[in-house]
Amino acid sequence: MSVAAGGPGGVAISPAKILGLGLLGLILIYTTPFLGPVFGPLLAAIGAVLAIIWGADTIRRVASYGLGTGVPSIGYMSLAIAIVGSIAGIAGASVLKLDPLLGPIFGFILAVVLGAIVAVLCKTLLKMKIPILIRGTAELSGAAALSVIGFSAAIAGTFSFAPIIVGGTLYLGIEQAVISTGFIALLFILNTMAIQHPFNACLGPDEDQVRTLKLSVATGFIAMAIVGLLSVYTSKAWWLVTLIGAIAWFIAIREFIDASKESAASVKWTGLWPKHEEE
Amino acid sequence: MMVIDPYTLIAAVTVGGVLVGGGVHFIPVGGAPAAIATATGVGTGTAMLAAGSGMTGLITAAALTGQAPWLILASGAVGSMLMICITMLVGNLVYVFGVGCVPVSAKVDTDPITKLPQEKFVTPGTEGHGLPTVCYVSGTIGGALGGIGGGLVYWALYGALANPIFTLANRTDLSAAMVAGIFALSVFFVNAVIASYNIGGTIEGFHDPKFKRIPRGIVACLIASLVAGIFSLFLLPGFLGGI
Repeated sequence: MSVAAGGPGGVAISPAKILGLGLLGLILIYTTPFLGPVFGPLLAAIGAVLAIIWGADTIRRVASYGLGTGVPSIGYMSLAIAIVGSIAGIAGASVLKLDPLLGPIFGFILAVVLGAIVAVLCKTLLKMKIPILIRGTAELSGAAALSVIGFSAAIAGTFSFAPIIVGGTLYLGIEQAVISTGFIALLFILNTMAIQHPFNACLGPDEDQVRTLKLSVATGFIAMAIVGLLSVYTSKAWWLVTLIGAIAWFIAIREFIDASKESAASVKWTGLWPKHEEE
Repeated sequence: MMVIDPYTLIAAVTVGGVLVGGGVHFIPVGGAPAAIATATGVGTGTAMLAAGSGMTGLITAAALTGQAPWLILASGAVGSMLMICITMLVGNLVYVFGVGCVPVSAKVDTDPITKLPQEKFVTPGTEGHGLPTVCYVSGTIGGALGGIGGGLVYWALYGALANPIFTLANRTDLSAAMVAGIFALSVFFVNAVIASYNIGGTIEGFHDPKFKRIPRGIVACLIASLVAGIFSLFLLPGFLGGI
């Protein structure tokens, strides 16, 4: 299972730059309440896509040491940690009578803390031998939390946990718009796939960071297009989120396929199976 | 309906997490080698098995929302056991009639339950195939423990969230059930993956030498679930004095 054990291959884009990209995602998510019902959800969804790219690069760094359990397991774990952290954080901001604006950063911090605790347990108690496990799991949990919060804000149009009225418009809170509808379970699997699939699909001896990240852009944007469809009833911007997600997905997946064809020795269409067994 | 106080909630999330983490050690996870029938167990990773049996257990547990706690736990256990048993049964059908190999364990000389000899049926160069009786029994026990654990987390969280003393007055039962369900599912996944790191990806069941690592896995799951349990208090405004 640990095909690529021994650490990540060449790094074209440094982890610090990707971290910056993820934090830019956090800033975009934060602009949501100020930009009205159309551009707010759009920027929240784009913020979530940036977080997915950050998560995919982090999973590339951690899982390249060989986890022994396959790449998807850490993806599922990070999303589970992210959902515990982000729901507790967003609800906690309301519960502690803080400004609802503190919800996302609170959820992000709780996810990073839980991720770091789990990683410390894995390293000390379970004796896992991955040098960057603690930083990697903490970053991955934070990225996953941002992707959940961003997509939730894109669906609800706000990141308040309970329903709120802003300028005469009723915004359903995240609890009503995302959790009661069951979309949170879909976001769990959708974001897991978007974060773990790129490295899981591209790993191997000739894995290339830029190519993996191109695939992560594609998975992130197609997740965004689906989130747009989920928000038909709650957001006025659903068509814009879907449209931009679909167009960006098309561009990214074309780039990824081109990059794969460029690196391949040759590409041949195998054709369909023959009608009769060849003698 | 029983009123859950916050300390019971933390205790239930912790115990539930430990049961899930312990249960995973019983499940015959074969991983990629089992997918090509060169190792004993179900041919996929822990995360997939946890998703299948854990979600089924939570749905069956949630179907009895409002009933006595033991019924909720039993229902969760039965749901998880059914799902994991069906997975193992269909897996065995594929291994026996599709691949054409005998379900056999390479970790023991004779099956501890049926006393049937194992060693001479193992294809040279492989680590067994399919799911022999001992693995099947072990997997059923694992499914039961996981289902009870998941059901316990769900029952405690729902009881606390639907309780007007601790929670928002306008929270509906549906909303409480969904928040409790997704939180329980997340606790399930965290503990399942921690346990799978402990067993290094693959295990045959309680007869596998790797099973001796279970105390370490349980301590790790206990601490992680305790933290998740403390985080769950943020969902209870009445307890922390908000709104």
